[in-house]
Amino acid sequence: MTEACVMPLSAGRDRGLSLGRAVLVSLPMVLLTAFMLIGGRGGMPRKAMEAIPLLITFGGVNVLFFLMAKSGRTDRYRAVLFVTVAVSFAISFVANLFEVRGSMALTEEDMLRGRTPFCHMVIPMTLIPAVFTRTINFPGSMLGGFAPIAGMFVIWIGATVSLGRGFCSWGCFFGGLEDGFSRVRKRTAVRNIADRWTYLPYAVLVSIVILSALSLSPTYCMWLCPFKTVSEYVAVTDFRRALQAAIFLSLFFGLVVVLPILSRRRTQCGLFCPMGAFQGLFNKTNLFEVKIDQSRCSDCAHCTRICPTFSIDKASLARGATRISCSKCGKCVDDCPKGAATFHVKGTPFVLGDKLARFLFLYPAFLFLVVFNGGMIQDTIRRLFLLVSTGSLLR
Amino acid sequence: MSGFLLGLASGTSCLAFCAPVLVPYLVAEAAGPLRSVPLLARFMFGRLLGYLLFGLFVGVAGSLVGQGPRREIGFGLAFLGLAALLVCYGFGQPRRSKAACVVDGRTSALRRLAGRWPGVLPIVLGLLTGLNLCPPFALAVAGAAESGGVAASVWFFATFFLGTSIFFLPLPGLGALRRFETLRLVARLAAGVVGVYFLYRGVVLVHGGLARL
Repeated sequence: MTEACVMPLSAGRDRGLSLGRAVLVSLPMVLLTAFMLIGGRGGMPRKAMEAIPLLITFGGVNVLFFLMAKSGRTDRYRAVLFVTVAVSFAISFVANLFEVRGSMALTEEDMLRGRTPFCHMVIPMTLIPAVFTRTINFPGSMLGGFAPIAGMFVIWIGATVSLGRGFCSWGCFFGGLEDGFSRVRKRTAVRNIADRWTYLPYAVLVSIVILSALSLSPTYCMWLCPFKTVSEYVAVTDFRRALQAAIFLSLFFGLVVVLPILSRRRTQCGLFCPMGAFQGLFNKTNLFEVKIDQSRCSDCAHCTRICPTFSIDKASLARGATRISCSKCGKCVDDCPKGAATFHVKGTPFVLGDKLARFLFLYPAFLFLVVFNGGMIQDTIRRLFLLVSTGSLLR
Repeated sequence: MSGFLLGLASGTSCLAFCAPVLVPYLVAEAAGPLRSVPLLARFMFGRLLGYLLFGLFVGVAGSLVGQGPRREIGFGLAFLGLAALLVCYGFGQPRRSKAACVVDGRTSALRRLAGRWPGVLPIVLGLLTGLNLCPPFALAVAGAAESGGVAASVWFFATFFLGTSIFFLPLPGLGALRRFETLRLVARLAAGVVGVYFLYRGVVLVHGGLARL
């Protein structure tokens, strides 16, 4: 480990900024989000139904960033936005499906006609078999729609390079659901989850890549995706599709609802998601990491019990680092009783409670969360206004 | 071709299962990379032999089942059996394979065996590890069974062998890698996941066959 500078005992926890500094630090984010949210639309919309949701989103995200800066707590305010994004995604996406198709159900015809939207979960089973087979398994047609899909790949590459597995806590519009459910209970009911299950995401990744390469079909979408329940389910027309629907529902309620409530962890992300496993591999090349100062650590193992993605264990603690699966949510940094966990930029000296490293990570991560998902939040607010005024979420 | 593609796509999993047996053996027996090449060749011959025999067995079993709904039910039940085996194997408590136990770093015992059967031991090790219940092997069994005939089944396994063998080529120069245990754990769990997939397929096939009877 690199050198650790010694700080007073309270310094590890007292990471907030004064009011003036917090405002100053938040200003760049105000300008960046204004540029991306308002500038991206070519200026402020004139219709109230467009302008009000935009202003609420813009104001809300910047208040959250200010609170992050002022309090020094990352995960608490990230989670508010992250959960909002996931709920917004479900509302906005499902309402949009009803407008376009008249149903949440996905039929064979929809798939053949390429009416399936792009989802980042398919990236590993699209890219890896493509390397070996030169065939892209994509749940839908790419004809006429290659540009937006290529655009998504570019966004994903950019996010992966800058955040690594941070994508899973600062970008993924599914993760917020279980993050929210994991915060429902105050007490943990399921504590002991064997360490070997933390390798299951890699196994799912290997399996879907092999099965996709062999069957030349998007295996994960067809058999294993828990989020079909809140996006588009398979139209139940025969026994096979009924079985698929049952699997999707059980995986959703088991891994995204029940287990997160009982264990207070993100069990789908930590124990199942192949996309997360794939993203984890890029943590090796990513600049940002969470480090643990062993000289300050009291071996209470609190972080090993609270890490949402099971990314800290005794072995990683002994190395003063997190495991490859760390999604940089900041929970351990917020909650360590000794303040021993810190955001760190690789290749720089390790400084406990390093504010610069934290903000160097927070700017791109928070901006990505807002820009990638801001549109969905605005659309959801619009639809909620519609619900109040017309009694329907649909336009 | 699909056998070769499956081999290419799953070669690392195969390597994770075979390397714990092969690498200590190579390290124990061969003085250098060049001397380990003939040993590797014999080991690979053992694997090929195992695959071809198993391809023959699967092909014969597949042709005995016949056509129509009975074939669907037959394959469905076979997939269910395979699924049960894979799920137990993948998600159950891990045990060491017999081939791994033979090697297990006990170089003196190995040298004794190698002294007694110098030419045969690597072939036997190849045969034992080749017939390991790893996810790629299970998928190859399913692929071969559906390939429609004895010759096609043997051909499927032969091309599968070729696809996976590419990953073994650098082994003589690599030496022992540290992360084989983790890779093995991941591969075992992957066997369980693949088992769940076969469970779905088995249930769908049996249901389809029963509906058509």
